[in-house]
Amino acid sequence: MDLISNIALGLDTALTPVNLMYCFFGVFVGTLIGVLPGLGALAAISMLFPMTFHLEPTTALIMLAGIYYGTAYGGSTASILLNIPGTTSSAVTCLDGYPMAQQGRAGVALAMTAVASFYGGIYGIIVLSVFTPVVASWALSFGSAEYFALMLLGLVAASSVSDASVVKGLAMVALGILLATVGMDPQSGTARFTFGSLSVLDGLSISALAMGLFGVAEIVSSIGRTAARQLDPKAITLRKLMPTRDDFRRSWGPMFRSSTLGSLFGALPGTGPTVAAFVSYGVEKRISKEPERFGKGAIEGVVAPESANNAADQTAFIPTLSLGIPGSATMALMIGALMVHGIHPGPKLVTDQPELFWGLIMSFWIGNLLLVVLNLPLIGLWVRLLSVPYHLLYPAILMFICIGAYSVHYSAFDVMAVMGFGALGYAMRIFGMPAAPLLLGFVLGPLVEQHFRRAMVLARGDFSAVIERPITGVVLGITALVLIWSIWAGMRQKARMRDRKLTAGQED
Amino acid sequence: MKMLTAAMVALGLSSAAAAAQDFPSKPITLIVPYSGGGSTDLIGRQLAHELQQIWGQPVVVENRAGAGSMIGTAALSQAEPDGYTLLVNTPAVATAPAVQNDLPFDPKTDITAIGMVATSPYMAVAGAAVNATTFADFIAEAKERPMFFATAGVGTSSHFTEELLIQQAGLDADIVHFSSGGDAQVNLMGGHADVYISNTASVMPYVNNGQVKALVVLGSERYELLPDVEASAEAGVDGIDINSWVGLFGPGGMDPALVEKINSDMHAALATDSFKKVLADNFVIAGKDSADEFKAQVEKEMDLWKTLATERSIVAN
Repeated sequence: MDLISNIALGLDTALTPVNLMYCFFGVFVGTLIGVLPGLGALAAISMLFPMTFHLEPTTALIMLAGIYYGTAYGGSTASILLNIPGTTSSAVTCLDGYPMAQQGRAGVALAMTAVASFYGGIYGIIVLSVFTPVVASWALSFGSAEYFALMLLGLVAASSVSDASVVKGLAMVALGILLATVGMDPQSGTARFTFGSLSVLDGLSISALAMGLFGVAEIVSSIGRTAARQLDPKAITLRKLMPTRDDFRRSWGPMFRSSTLGSLFGALPGTGPTVAAFVSYGVEKRISKEPERFGKGAIEGVVAPESANNAADQTAFIPTLSLGIPGSATMALMIGALMVHGIHPGPKLVTDQPELFWGLIMSFWIGNLLLVVLNLPLIGLWVRLLSVPYHLLYPAILMFICIGAYSVHYSAFDVMAVMGFGALGYAMRIFGMPAAPLLLGFVLGPLVEQHFRRAMVLARGDFSAVIERPITGVVLGITALVLIWSIWAGMRQKARMRDRKLTAGQED
Repeated sequence: MKMLTAAMVALGLSSAAAAAQDFPSKPITLIVPYSGGGSTDLIGRQLAHELQQIWGQPVVVENRAGAGSMIGTAALSQAEPDGYTLLVNTPAVATAPAVQNDLPFDPKTDITAIGMVATSPYMAVAGAAVNATTFADFIAEAKERPMFFATAGVGTSSHFTEELLIQQAGLDADIVHFSSGGDAQVNLMGGHADVYISNTASVMPYVNNGQVKALVVLGSERYELLPDVEASAEAGVDGIDINSWVGLFGPGGMDPALVEKINSDMHAALATDSFKKVLADNFVIAGKDSADEFKAQVEKEMDLWKTLATERSIVAN
């Protein structure tokens, strides 16, 4: 009954008025920052980081964590309503969220997002509270060879995210991988495609790419759109916001599978919520009986990435707290907030600082609950945002995108990069090239490369030693199966389409 | 005419002295060329906090991470040398220029060394795959089974100190680059790589948690804060006389009087109890150097790493 006494201890800590207040403050700020395109968790946490010097460590972490998972809730709002991702990890949500909004189902999409986020969050918290020691030691057994296999599987599984033709999708994945090669070679230190510029030595900024490709491109292409939006604010009744029974029926499966995937990717340092969102979307599309619904407003395409990224946000605390290893820049700030107070997270944290660990976990429960309570009433308000005329809304968004791009590295170059990617995104729209596969290639390509190169160094150049590792071998085998299966499924579908056309022709 | 020149010189001197006396009369920016939450960031923020108390002007920390600290350092080199833009950096200020040929500034003339904030030896830690517990045993084990030295990235101080140890100990070992010190150490814990070298602030949290083993401190003597860890010279590995540090820098061509003033204010900040606690938490000791001594040390390290980069053919051309 250890768990119950731990939960009681955690609730004791989390429910003190001070901690409760900072938890609310964190999730509230997180939601707002998440909704604003361009500004993400990293910017928000960096700004509030100095505040943590004057707080108790537990309180400080509760607040920072609240901002962190709060942004994941808010990030999807702009994706669904405006086709502009609020955070990088919610870019995938654009794919089906925005079509839903265009069909007048924005309220449903937002409501289901809140449900899916809550479900994913809670699932992640359960994994975090029950399996932390197990998952932490399991994550340690993952070397570069295993990561390489897993990232390759992710790339293959998610390469079907787009709705466009396979060739166009694969071409964009390849372009994304190519763009990601800019910067310093991870093993030799050679500068690649930097043209002597220091600004790109660490590579192009992922947030600049996501904001430009999705946000700026959307704004630019809306310039020609003169038709006023047919949205009558009075038409938004509570009834219209309520998901139907069919929406729920379709969502349970994807939510469960995606939360599991999200928890897995969150627990591995260096992967995180964006990869989780992509892979879960790809998996749902692959196993769906009607994959053609995806990209046209399928509810599964909204709940899958949203439950995955929220689950990943929670389980990202496993390596952070139990190994002291930050999986991302945001997590490094969390560790910093503890180091300021002389606490070094590690395997002993759970036993040495039980109030901190369990208090934090219980605050996650409370924070996720607060987020649902906070977000459901806001849906009506957000949907009304759509009735703001473009000529007022979009310049404001463009400004936030520029501020957001600048704030990540205080770099004017990144602002230029956003605009450059915006131009690229616009050109891609004209030619019907999908943006999501490009982002996928940009996120996963360098991970595949980096881990493959490192695995080869660690195997002293012997490729068979890499694939003989049990986890690596199994995952690579699954990857090959998925590849073969998707080629076969594609051919079968083509044949069926041809048959259908033939019968249709005979009936004429 | 002579009088006039003398008067002008005197005027120039007194205005420079006055500039140093009046400093600071507006907010100061302190650049930290790493992302938030790391040990250099924490020491930099504490320094900003203490200097703000002493100067009565806001000292604002700006994280400008990237390119092995060179993005923040380049930003500093382009600022006015009036003391209102400062930088904290590590020996990366000397190691990164040894591998990056395209820097838009000259690391020796375009930055001014102001003073050493803190220092500690470099420490080697070993992971789960290493059996040895003493440094002598480790050398023997490494000669039998070629080991993997994990770095925090190409051109970082962990990379260079590892190359130096491999060279001085005559080992046949492989270098494998990871994306950060934390990444390197998690691979040590999982037994995927064997050894990692960094400053005490980066490795001690994991040593204290029993996740990695402290193997040796590089140098001829043991470290006063960790007397149980042997020094590399004890096992007969000589010629490593190099320590890690965190230093304060300004743009190139700063007025020496201003440098002196900031150096002495920095030492006043280091003497406060709150700063002493931060230093102790990070297993580092406060720097004692004058600005000139620190400048000499930084330039010596720049030459040392440049030579090593050529000798060990680290630079990819």
